[in-house]
Amino acid sequence: MGLRVDNLTVVYRDGDHGVLALDDVSLALVPGRCLALVGESGSGKTTLGKACMGLLPRNAGIGGRILLDGRPLDPEDEAAMNRVRWSSISMVFQSGAANLNPVHRVLDQVAEPLIQQGGVDRSGARERAAGALEAVGLERVLHARYPHQLSGGQAQRVLLAMAGILDPDVILLDEPTSALDAASKAFVARAIQGMKAAGKAVLLISHDLEFALHQADDMSVIYLGQVVETLPASELLSNPRHPYTLALGRSYPAMDTARDLGGIRGDAFYRIVHRHGRDDGGVAPHSHIQVPGSSHRDGHAPPTGCLFQNRCTQAVPACSHGEIAMEEADGHRVRCLRGGIVRLLRMEGVSKRYDAVQALDGVDLQVQAGEVLSLVGETGSGKTTLALTAAGVLRPDAGTRAFDGADMDGWIRRDYRSLARRIGVIYQNPAEAVSHRFTVFDAVAEPLRIHGLAEGRGDLEERVKRRLGDVHLSTDRAFLERYPHELNMGAIQRVCMARALILEPSLLVADEPTSSLDPSVQAKVMKLLLHLQAEMGLSLLFVTHDIGLARKISDRIAVMMAGRIVEIGPASLLLRSPRHPYTRLLLESAAGRLPEAPPAREGTGDRDPGCAFAPRCSRRTGDCLTRVPLLAGHGPRRAACHAPLPEG
Amino acid sequence: MHIDRAQVIRDPWFAVGLGIAVGFGLVSLLGPALAPYDPWSMAFSPISQPTGEHWLGVNDGGQDIFSELLYAIRNTAAFGLLSGLASLFLGIALGLTSGWYGGVVDAVIMRVADVLLAVPAIMILILTAALFRPEPWVLALILSALMWPTVGKTLRAQTLSLKGSLHVRAAAQMGGGGGYILRRHLLPEMFPLYLIGFAAKARMAMFMEASLAFLGLFDPSRKSLGMMINYALQFYYLDVWWNWLLPPVLCLSLLIMGVTFLAVGLEKVLDPRLRADTGGRTWA
Repeated sequence: MGLRVDNLTVVYRDGDHGVLALDDVSLALVPGRCLALVGESGSGKTTLGKACMGLLPRNAGIGGRILLDGRPLDPEDEAAMNRVRWSSISMVFQSGAANLNPVHRVLDQVAEPLIQQGGVDRSGARERAAGALEAVGLERVLHARYPHQLSGGQAQRVLLAMAGILDPDVILLDEPTSALDAASKAFVARAIQGMKAAGKAVLLISHDLEFALHQADDMSVIYLGQVVETLPASELLSNPRHPYTLALGRSYPAMDTARDLGGIRGDAFYRIVHRHGRDDGGVAPHSHIQVPGSSHRDGHAPPTGCLFQNRCTQAVPACSHGEIAMEEADGHRVRCLRGGIVRLLRMEGVSKRYDAVQALDGVDLQVQAGEVLSLVGETGSGKTTLALTAAGVLRPDAGTRAFDGADMDGWIRRDYRSLARRIGVIYQNPAEAVSHRFTVFDAVAEPLRIHGLAEGRGDLEERVKRRLGDVHLSTDRAFLERYPHELNMGAIQRVCMARALILEPSLLVADEPTSSLDPSVQAKVMKLLLHLQAEMGLSLLFVTHDIGLARKISDRIAVMMAGRIVEIGPASLLLRSPRHPYTRLLLESAAGRLPEAPPAREGTGDRDPGCAFAPRCSRRTGDCLTRVPLLAGHGPRRAACHAPLPEG
Repeated sequence: MHIDRAQVIRDPWFAVGLGIAVGFGLVSLLGPALAPYDPWSMAFSPISQPTGEHWLGVNDGGQDIFSELLYAIRNTAAFGLLSGLASLFLGIALGLTSGWYGGVVDAVIMRVADVLLAVPAIMILILTAALFRPEPWVLALILSALMWPTVGKTLRAQTLSLKGSLHVRAAAQMGGGGGYILRRHLLPEMFPLYLIGFAAKARMAMFMEASLAFLGLFDPSRKSLGMMINYALQFYYLDVWWNWLLPPVLCLSLLIMGVTFLAVGLEKVLDPRLRADTGGRTWA
């Protein structure tokens, strides 16, 4: 039942070429559930809605099938479409009042489908329309008004009433909240819940991620006319599997996310379909992806492959070849050659001991491509050791490490230099991280020199200058010849950033890079770092003791205590409702409140078996003193606690 | 170890030392041209007091003392220079290797160094010179082989401390190999230590050369400050000490002092304990 769309392709023809608006889109609307279709403007969301309603303009070419209650719809068969429109499938169009006829009273417009298709007489229809309008909260005084006399929110309610008037099984909502204030949004939300309760199949087309994520059960993410991921709505922000979904979620100012807006690097391709001499007027058999600013005739546009490749954080050469199909991954359906977001770094059971101190004790950590993961915790909790182990600088006593799918220890033994090229490190103390005998130029050029990657002095100079420009430092000769002790801390740290990024690594490990800077300089450096992180699409493993800072920059946060990760999860969830008492303690301390737990006792050396936090914990049970809790939990959130705080 | 060049040059110890060293350097280089006579020619009347023709008089063999002195300075300075450079080279090579690679390499090199430190260099040199009568440059090299351990140990210690420094670890993280780090990070970093090591060893070598010559362990026809002193002492009773004995003694002392001053000047700038003001970047 409901509505099914199979391999729908829509091309808007224009002269000798066409624009591919939808490409191989498949989705299913199930009664009683709401599917949200989200994506940037121009991604083909509205085209899909209009295609289902048979309302595409004449120059649209359609391929694939649309099934309503199991029966195929022919969008070009006007008569057949008229029979199902409003009665079986209806749509709430975008931008409210503009979709209403300005010369008719709203009551008459809502009543019209009843008269045309429901076979109800005029007065009966008016009566039922008035009831429907009242049901959406519009009092009778408003019923006789013309559309221009209504506010945007009121017009939206009229459209909602109209869509539901013939009690269709399938309702499509196209950007129902785009121009609405928060209170009116809540009304639309309630209407959607009502439709679901009434057993209708709802398609919510929206770029308002937060609204969509709360109303919908499932979510399809569309990019340039292709669905790139279908996933449970609740996991949109916390557990995306496609790099575009992650980037999209990061760009949206949701109430829950604390992280600053991330944006998506680069610009989208255009998709142009060329006829190439065929004169039958049909859709040509192949499409071209076109890079912004170039034309098809330039001939250097990548012809095939993933549409997101130029903005992706994990693209490999194979991504530009062939068709990428939707595949199942962790309960999501993902259109990605690499099976969704890649785990760039994977560490399992990593332990490291310094004499009497167990710095790392069986730590599991994964860093995904393109994400910002912060390690927070007190001094001595093992953050730096873990970060340097992740960077391949320290060798763990036990455990395995894999980088980009390859065993890291073997890689280090075999060819450390090629691994070093892919990992950049920024240190806590920038002044000491640069030899005082190196000029700014020498410092930034060092990685290129080590790897012999520059072709001559000119190339070296140009690349150094470009990187210095990226970190907003001067590139004139006088500055290039300055020594580090002649610069301020912020500038040296930016020199170090330029140095760490000049080889364009995939992973950047930053160990408290701003703790020696004052807040205003820190803000500047962090902004730059995050901008570059997004633009270069690299993964950032960020070590900090400053939870406030971690909150602003992280996609995920891992809390460390005594050599273990005690809680890990999406930054927003972890900060809003910590599950480990230690995380709560850190949050309380960071907020300046006096935590209820007593302060830690230093220098106790080897610990008793059990949770390191147990002596200070108010939720302690017998188990806590005898058994080490392991990370447990569902989805992306895990906490290592025998008596975790309730999820809130 | 960052050196403020202007500060070093303004240091009085360094300036005086530099002046003396440059003076003797010029004398050594231009010696043959400056000498009024052939120092081996015995054409003059022996044991004459200084005159307009013979500024420092003539010795017992009828040779012009001033010409002899110029050649002697040249020989002594060359011996010191060669021996100092060779010690420094050995010290750098072995000290850096030892410090950088550590482990067995370090243990072996450092034990050898300890043995050499315990051996009295002068004894070995006297024996070698007496038994084998080698060329002076061979003796200079043998001396270097005995003297490098102090330089080597200093450089090893510095290498160890630099090895742990962040910029070296950063370079290693970036993929820089041992060769790269030695070349770009360690060698230039320790430049001041080379000057100190060289000065100390050159000073010692010059003193050693004078001693050996004084003992008559070199070819007697080779001009040397030590040998001049030896001969002058034999005629001490003739009241020639001020024109024959004093000049070589003074020259030897000044040579050694000059090089010492250079070393002290550098050390003062580089060693914070010798700095009058240890705070900030103003040097003593």
